[in-house]
Amino acid sequence: MNEIPKMSAEQLGMSKYTRRQFLKFSGAATAATAASVLSMNDIAEAAISRPLPLGTPILVVVSLYGGNDGLNTVIPYQDSNYYAARPTLNYKPETLLPLTDGLALNASMTGIKSLWDAQKVAIVRGVGYPKPDRSHFSSMAIWQTGSPQTHLSTGWLGRWLDNQAIDPMMAISLGSVLPPLLAGAKQSGSALPLGGLAIPAGAIGKACLRLSAASQRDSKLSAAAATSMRNLFSVSGSVTPVLAQPAPVADDLPTVAGGNAGGDSNLTQQLNIVAKLIAAGAPTKVWSVSLGGFDTHANEANAQAALLGTVSSSISKFLSQMKASGRSKDITVMVYSEFGRRVKANGSDGTDHGTAGPMFLIGDRVQGGMYGDQPSLTKLIDGDLAVTTDFRDVYSSVIESVLQTPAEKVLGNWSGRVKTFKSA
Amino acid sequence: MDLKRLELARLYNRFGFGPRPGEFAQALKAGVAATKQSFLNPPLIDSGAVALPVVTDLGKRPEPNTPEIIAFARQLRSQNEGIELWWLDQMVATNKALQEKMVWFWHGHWATSIGKVNYAMPMLKQNETFRKYATGNFNEFAKAMFMDGAMQIWLDGGENTLKAPNENFSREMMELFVLGVNRYTETDVKELARAFTGYQVSRSSGVVVYNEKRRDMKSVTILGKSAVMSPDDAIAHLVSQPNCAQFIAERIWYRFVSSQQPLPTNHSMVNAFAGREIAPVLATLINGTDLANPQYEIVKSPVEWFVGVCRALSLTPSKLDSFNKLHGYLEKLSQVPFSPPNVGGWPTDEAWLSSASAQFRIAFATWLVNQADLSAIEAQVPASRAAYLADLLAVVEWSPRTAFALREVRDVVPRLVILAVCSPEYVVSA
Repeated sequence: MNEIPKMSAEQLGMSKYTRRQFLKFSGAATAATAASVLSMNDIAEAAISRPLPLGTPILVVVSLYGGNDGLNTVIPYQDSNYYAARPTLNYKPETLLPLTDGLALNASMTGIKSLWDAQKVAIVRGVGYPKPDRSHFSSMAIWQTGSPQTHLSTGWLGRWLDNQAIDPMMAISLGSVLPPLLAGAKQSGSALPLGGLAIPAGAIGKACLRLSAASQRDSKLSAAAATSMRNLFSVSGSVTPVLAQPAPVADDLPTVAGGNAGGDSNLTQQLNIVAKLIAAGAPTKVWSVSLGGFDTHANEANAQAALLGTVSSSISKFLSQMKASGRSKDITVMVYSEFGRRVKANGSDGTDHGTAGPMFLIGDRVQGGMYGDQPSLTKLIDGDLAVTTDFRDVYSSVIESVLQTPAEKVLGNWSGRVKTFKSA
Repeated sequence: MDLKRLELARLYNRFGFGPRPGEFAQALKAGVAATKQSFLNPPLIDSGAVALPVVTDLGKRPEPNTPEIIAFARQLRSQNEGIELWWLDQMVATNKALQEKMVWFWHGHWATSIGKVNYAMPMLKQNETFRKYATGNFNEFAKAMFMDGAMQIWLDGGENTLKAPNENFSREMMELFVLGVNRYTETDVKELARAFTGYQVSRSSGVVVYNEKRRDMKSVTILGKSAVMSPDDAIAHLVSQPNCAQFIAERIWYRFVSSQQPLPTNHSMVNAFAGREIAPVLATLINGTDLANPQYEIVKSPVEWFVGVCRALSLTPSKLDSFNKLHGYLEKLSQVPFSPPNVGGWPTDEAWLSSASAQFRIAFATWLVNQADLSAIEAQVPASRAAYLADLLAVVEWSPRTAFALREVRDVVPRLVILAVCSPEYVVSA
């Protein structure tokens, strides 16, 4: 029973013989789906055999879970109302990183400040949606589905995927659970855990490939179960060898004990893998990474600063790593959270769930600067910041400028845009 | 599709943690009606009950770099492991399937994570509360959950004071626990937070105490009613709302019937909850027609899948090779008991169907099958093994694809069993 654990179609069990047997057994109607197993297998060498053409824009979405406090991220440090609302949860002006318009970045965000100085950072202020929902779950669902009014089961990037050729490598999320963001009706993104995927080897691998073939008799979820296993063979085949390579070096960052400084957080690890795969030429246009812990109801200052420091340093390291590959100018990083927080601090030196917050767009294609109006600290709506920019304005611009797809395919006839990108 | 097999498979897989060897074949003989009755009228005493682990109050965490911290950390880890293994063992061994499944359901409903609570003791106490009220009175249950130490820690109850109200608990009480999103106003959230002020909790023991100095004594207005309300008064007011019956019926539907399709309007479960008793809601659902409707499929969550495999293969979680391996697999599949990802509870369906989870499920199954006694399956002639496995696992039917895949490996029983438990037909409860 010594099977050969390699990855050609034959060795994985989809030899002509097996396939013919399969077709005979499950009837002629499955011919098309059985063939798509083989074409899935072709993708096994995709990262190497059909790399994404240089110059193809790539989107990296960074989701901050928990509701990031926007007022302590992009800080209105010259506004006395800020200090009045947060008498023990504010920052001394001299510790901050000044931008323009009376705003400064949290002191921990030195990496993003350098990118701002190089005019690669667009900050969109006061982003949200109508009738803000203060529940983490509802609000994150609204942001990820891109639909504030009606409940949708597809994500905004899932609907973009639905307009692309079927390809399990088109959009990849780091971590083992797929976020709703990448759920489409026709195809969903793939999930990639931090350790990478390993194809079951030998006879069991061969048997699993048979088990993962599409079946006409599959219900919707059974089909999804079979597809997820099938994609294991196609995604992992191309990804695993690449993950064994060392990460690209970021030449312009200081090194610590041979590695780049910038912490070893989960987000750093995720972006490290994304960097390796982009450098290897993965045919992936959308990446999703995330960091949690922003639900700072108590003792916010240190906790949030540490998290923002991680976001800032891991993004700047990532973009720096990409330079050698020649793809750094193709990349746009988008950072968002499900809501900002109350203007007034609570009694625990934390903040409760609020509404609008800033979004960041970072990269060479971005026209650096401030966008949208800074929400007023005096004209609050029930103690919360007013939303000045709808997130669909930002999504539309990203879909058109980065993903080069008409926004209406994803968001219907939404007309708002924020022109955060350089004209091509 | 064989509707008798479908209904029976759903009873075992959804209203329990899957059959033990022989049970499904027996149920096929006994019939659907009798099997439903056995789920709804279990023995009074759970003969499979696993003794509670010994969990003590470990007190305040010692300062870093002290001699005490090492012993403390060791005890904490051992208690946390202890409650995780105890509950998994209990799910596998129980003879009161529906009761245990409801404990699991409420854990996902009042989702509290040891990640923030830190100590095993409050988590175990909360689990005992779930047990006490699993099929009981929801008003009493909700009141007990307000006084639950783990919940108070989880949702910052101790931070909610007269001077500085904290809305975390009050919001989730309405949104996720009792009424459902958008069935209240932002003002209601703020007012309920005031009615919840004045309680503090000891982190290590989970004991909740009242502190009058922190209490807002003034009248509050919640969902149209103005009065000075204790937490019990406020909760009784929430639970008496028609939306509470709607919401609990929706949640039971979502976890037991379908998370893809909404609860049909005017479903009989809503009326069955008129007295706020949980048992009649379950009886109404089980005795109704939904279980025989093939369109309501649902994906087994990783813990449900694991416990089901253990029951079918007569494995005991605490006797598996290594706790660390077991915990590691559950972690990779993103579902560890006592550690839901957030207060909204576990995700459903497609969220469990990533390529990553497919990989880990195969590795996990291989590890489990290698520790199981497969002689009963080996005793079957190869040609009847797939049918035997369908009954062992309460699978309605194998698709031609899976039947073919199983047939190709039927002479190698461990491989056959790994394939069967990783098949779409087992991972998804038809």
